[in-house]
Amino acid sequence: MTDYGHDLWFGSFVTPAARPPQAPVELALASERAGLDLVSFQDHPYQSAFQDTWTLMSYVAARTERIRISGNVLSLPLRSPAVLARAAASLDRLTGGRVDLGIGAGAFWDGIAAMGGRRLTPGQAVQALEEAVQVIRGLWATDEPGPLKVDGEYYSVTGAKRGPAPAHRIPIHIGAYKPRMLRLTGRIADGWLPSLGYLPDGPASLDAMNEQIDEAASAAGREPAAVSRLLNLSGRFTTGGGGLLQGTPGDWAEQLADLALQYGVSGFILASDEPAELDLFGHEVAPRTRELVQSERTA
Amino acid sequence: MNYGHRLRFGLRLSTDADHEPDHLIKSAALAERWGLDLLVVPAGTAGADLEPGTVSSWIAAATGSLGLVVESPPTPHPAMLARAVASLDQLTAGRVELALHAEAADSGEALGDTIAVVRELWNVLDRGLGRYTGRLHRLSGAQKAAPAHDVPIAVHADSHVLRLVGRQADEWSTGDVTALAEGNRVVDEAARAAGRDPREIRRRITIRGDVGERAGTFTGTTEDWVSDLLPLVLDHGVGTVVLDTDSEDLAARFANDVAPALRAAVDAALPHGWSSTRVRRAAALARRRPGIDYEGTPEGMAEVVEPGDLAYARLRSGYLRGGAPGIVLRATTAEQVAQALAYARRHPGVPLSRRSAGHGVSGRSTNDGGIVIDVSLMNTIEVLDEKTRRVRIGPGARWAEVAAALEPYGWALSSGDYGGVGVGGLATAGGIGYLSREHGLTIDHLRAVEMVLADGSIVRASDVENADLFWAVRGAGANFGIVTAFEFEADEVGPVAFAQLTQDASDVERYLVEWGRVVEQSPRDLTSFVILPPSRAGRPAVALSHTMVHAADRETVLARLEPLAAISPMYAQDVAISSYAAVMNNASDDAPVSRGEPVSRSGLLRHVTPEFAAASARVLRSGAIGWFQLRAVGGAVADVPADATAYAHRDANFSLVVMGGDDEVVDAAWELLRPFLDGLYLSFESSLRPERLAEAFPPATLSRLRRLKSTYDPEGVFDDNFALTPATNDPGGSDQ
Ligand SMILES: Cc1cc2nc3c(=O)[nH]c(=O)nc-3n(C[C@H](O)[C@H](O)[C@H](O)COP(=O)(O)OP(=O)(O)OC[C@H]3O[C@@H](n4cnc5c(N)ncnc54)[C@H](O)[C@@H]3O)c2cc1C
Repeated sequence: MTDYGHDLWFGSFVTPAARPPQAPVELALASERAGLDLVSFQDHPYQSAFQDTWTLMSYVAARTERIRISGNVLSLPLRSPAVLARAAASLDRLTGGRVDLGIGAGAFWDGIAAMGGRRLTPGQAVQALEEAVQVIRGLWATDEPGPLKVDGEYYSVTGAKRGPAPAHRIPIHIGAYKPRMLRLTGRIADGWLPSLGYLPDGPASLDAMNEQIDEAASAAGREPAAVSRLLNLSGRFTTGGGGLLQGTPGDWAEQLADLALQYGVSGFILASDEPAELDLFGHEVAPRTRELVQSERTA
Repeated sequence: MNYGHRLRFGLRLSTDADHEPDHLIKSAALAERWGLDLLVVPAGTAGADLEPGTVSSWIAAATGSLGLVVESPPTPHPAMLARAVASLDQLTAGRVELALHAEAADSGEALGDTIAVVRELWNVLDRGLGRYTGRLHRLSGAQKAAPAHDVPIAVHADSHVLRLVGRQADEWSTGDVTALAEGNRVVDEAARAAGRDPREIRRRITIRGDVGERAGTFTGTTEDWVSDLLPLVLDHGVGTVVLDTDSEDLAARFANDVAPALRAAVDAALPHGWSSTRVRRAAALARRRPGIDYEGTPEGMAEVVEPGDLAYARLRSGYLRGGAPGIVLRATTAEQVAQALAYARRHPGVPLSRRSAGHGVSGRSTNDGGIVIDVSLMNTIEVLDEKTRRVRIGPGARWAEVAAALEPYGWALSSGDYGGVGVGGLATAGGIGYLSREHGLTIDHLRAVEMVLADGSIVRASDVENADLFWAVRGAGANFGIVTAFEFEADEVGPVAFAQLTQDASDVERYLVEWGRVVEQSPRDLTSFVILPPSRAGRPAVALSHTMVHAADRETVLARLEPLAAISPMYAQDVAISSYAAVMNNASDDAPVSRGEPVSRSGLLRHVTPEFAAASARVLRSGAIGWFQLRAVGGAVADVPADATAYAHRDANFSLVVMGGDDEVVDAAWELLRPFLDGLYLSFESSLRPERLAEAFPPATLSRLRRLKSTYDPEGVFDDNFALTPATNDPGGSDQ
C-alpha cells in the first residue's frame, strides 16, 4: 500500500465513434468544459466503427485550449514508432505541450494482421514496445549528439536525424497487466495505465501489480514514484448505495480518494460518452477527491 | 493538350518545426480568406518538419472550406494512411486529398501497393472485407471505411514512376515545368494502356517565384506570371497550380491577382474555359447500367450519382429495401426536380423511383438499374407565421428534425413513431403517430403543397388552388407528382409523458382485447402502440407497449397509464416526462445497408375483438412472422369526414402491421387475420396484389382518384407506390 504523493488529475475516455464524426469532438469539448485535465481515446484502427485516433486527437487539439490529449492506448503494431515520435512531437509543439503518449503493445492480433500489420507473440510484442520507446525518446532527444541509431529486433533506426523536439517532456504511459509488461512499465514508463474493469480482483489487484512495477523500477535505478499510476474507470452516478463507482459524486470522491491513498493512483480517467457524467466527474468528483486526499496527506 | 479540368490554385505550406505554431493557422486562414482552393501540407523532412498528418488535422479543425492536400511520405502502414485520411475527410465533410511521394529508391512497387491498399479500404461500393495481396503490402480481411467523398490520390514524382501514375493515380504532381511535355506523354500512354481516359488524371505544377522586375520564369508582374502559366494550362493541361513560398505578400499576389487573371485568360483561350465536367475513372464507368443516358444528365442537378461513385454506397438502398439503381439525381429546387423528371421521361422503359428519406415500405424509392429522383437534400424547416403556427417543410426533412425544430416554439406535428422517416413519403400517405388520437393524421395538418407534376409543371395545391389535387395528395400523393414543399399548421404540444411497458402476454388474447378496450376508453390525450414479439421457446411471451400521454402532471399521467399497467404483470417499465422531440430522436444516421425487399402487410380494424385476438395468437404462434404491431388511430382521426381526403378509412380505431421474411408465408398467416380487417394503410403494405388498391381506397375514393390520375398523370409516370391502374375489372372503377 503506497501513496506516491503525485498531484491528482482527472480525465475522460471518449469513444472515437466514426458516426457522426463530430460526436467525439463535442465530447472532448464537453470534457474541457467540465474542467477535466485530459481527454483520451482508445485506438483500434482495424475497427471501422471508430475514427483514426491520431487524426481525431490532432483535430481535437486544435479545437481545445487547455486540456491534455492522449491515446488510451495507441496500438503500436500499426503505428511506426518513428512516425509516432514525429507526430507526437508535432502535436506537442502545436499545442504548447498538451500531449501525453499512451501506448500499448497491441491486442486483437487478427485485426492487426488483417490491416497488414505484423503478428507478434506477447513476448515479442513486449520487446517491440521497449524498442519503440527507445526510438521515440531517441528521436525526441535533439540535445543528444549525432543522429539516432537503434538496432532492435523489431525496430531499427540507422542514423536518423533527431527531431522535432516536443514542447515539453511528453510522458509515456503504458497499458500493462501481465508481469512482463509490468516490469517493462517499471523500467521505462512515465505512467502505468490499466483499466479498472480488466483488473482480475478489482482495486485489490493493484497492490501486487504496483509492487512488480516498483521492483522493476528500483532494479533499473529509478524511483518507484517516477512511474505515475493512472486508472481507467467506468461507473454510474446514482442516488447512492451502490458498489464501487455506483453512487453519488460524494461516494465516488471517497472511493477515488481511497484509490489514491491506498494504491497511489493519481490519474483518474472516466470512460463516458455522456456530457452530464463528464460534468459531474469534473465539477463534483474531482474537487472533492482532491480535498479528501489533500487533507489525508497533510494529516 | 488541355484535359478540361477546372483550374485550381493552392499554396504549399511551410511546416518547418521551428516556425511559431500560430504561423500554420495564419497561413491557412489567409488561404481560405483569399478563396484559394487548396493548401498543400508537405510531407517535409523527418527531423526538421512537422508531421503532415498531424498538421493537416490541426489545420482542418481551424478552417471551414479550404481543401487540404495531405502529403504522405512512404509509409510502412498504408492501411493506416487510408484510415487517417478517411477520418479527416469525414471530420471535414470532404475537404481532403491525398498526395503520395515516390521515393527515389522505389521502382513503384511500394507506391503501387500503397495506392491499391488505400483504394481497397475505401471501396465500400463492393461490400465485404478488404483484401489485397501485393509484393510489399497486403490486406487480409480488413474492415473498410470510406472517406466522406471520393478522395483523389495524387502522386508527386518526376520521372521514374510516371507509368504508375498513368495506371493508378488521380493527379500527377511535379515541380519541374520542363518535365511536363514528356511526362504527360508517358502518363497518357500508360493511362490508355490501362483502359483509362487521360482526362481522369489531373496535372499539378508547384512553382516558386517572385514579383517585381522581370527576371526569368515566374518573376515579374501579374501579366508576366500569366504569360508564363498560360501555356502550361493550354498546352500541358495543368489543372492545379500551387505556389511554394514563405512570403505572405507573394502569396497574396498569387491568390488575388494572378489566379483571377489566369482564369480569365484561360476562359478567353479555351472554348470550355476553366469550368469542367466531371471525369469519372474507368473503374467507375464500368459500373454503369444499360439503357441510361449518362452523358445527357441535366446540367443543373445538385448531384448526379452513378453506380461507380462513392456516394452511391450511401444512396443505393433504403432503410428497409436494397437497391441498385442506375443513376441517382439529387435535386435541391423544384426546377431541378422538373429537370430530373424530364430526363427520366426520356427513359420510358426504365424504372423511376422518387425518394425523400428512403424509409418507404409500399413506396419503391429505389430500384434495380433505374432512375431515382432524390429530394433528400430538400430538408429545410421554416416557420412562416408564428401566430398561425404555419411551417414550411421540405420533403427530405426527417421527422426527428421536424420535431426538434418545432420544439422551441412549443409545437409539434403528429408524425410517426420513428424519427428517421421522411416527410415526403409520410405526409403524402397519412401519418399515424403518437399524437394521432388527439391531433389526427399528419395529413390533417397539411394546408398546402408545392409539387412537380408529370408534365413538368410546378404547381401549388391547397383548399383554394387545385383543390382536387390537394385532396388527392392527402392519402395518395405519390400518384400525382413530386412534392417539393409542404405547408403545415403545427399543434401546440407541451411536455408529454412517454411510457415503455413490458408486460406479460402469456395470455395473448386477453392482453390484446384488454389493450384495445383500454385504448378506446382512454381520453384522446393517450395514444398507444403495442408490439407483440413472436413467441420463442423458453422465453415468456411479452407485450411491449409504447404510449404517449400528452400531459406532464404526474396524476394525469398515472391515471392514464394505470389501466394499461393493470392489464397484466409488468416485467419492465420506463416512464419519462419528456418532449415529443426527445421521443422522436430515435433514428440512426448510418447509411442503409439493407438488401432485398421488406415483406409487410397492413390492415385497419374497428375493434380488437376476441375473435381477432384469437387469430392473432395463432399467427404469433405460427412462426410465420417476425413483427406484429397494433397502433391506435381513431379519436381525432375520425373527426375528419371520409371524403375530405384520399385517406378515407377514418372509422378504424387500430392499424395493424405484420412483417416477415417471405411473401408466401406471410400471406398464409395474413389470411387468418383478413376476415377482421377493413381496409389498409398503404404505407405499411409492401405487396403488389391488384386487390390492394381497393383495400386502400373505398370505392368512391378510388374512382375519384382514378379520374384525377387520368388528368394529372395519364401515362402513369408515377408508379412506384400504389400506382392507380386504369379501372378495368376492378370494383373501385365501376363508376368510370
Ligand atoms: C421504421 C419505420 C417506421 C415507420 N413508422 C411509421 C409511422 O409511425 N407512421 C406512419 O404513418 N408511417 C410510418 N412508416 C411508413 C412511412 O411513413 C412510409 O414508409 C413513408 O413512405 C416513408 O417516407 P420516406 O420519405 O422516408 O420514404 P421514401 O422511401 O423516400 O419514399 C417512399 C415513397 O414515398 C413516395 N414519396 C417520397 N417522397 C415523395 C415526394 N416528395 N412526393 C411524392 N411522393 C413521394 C414515393 O412513392 C416513394 O417511393 C414507417 C416506416 C419505417 C421504415
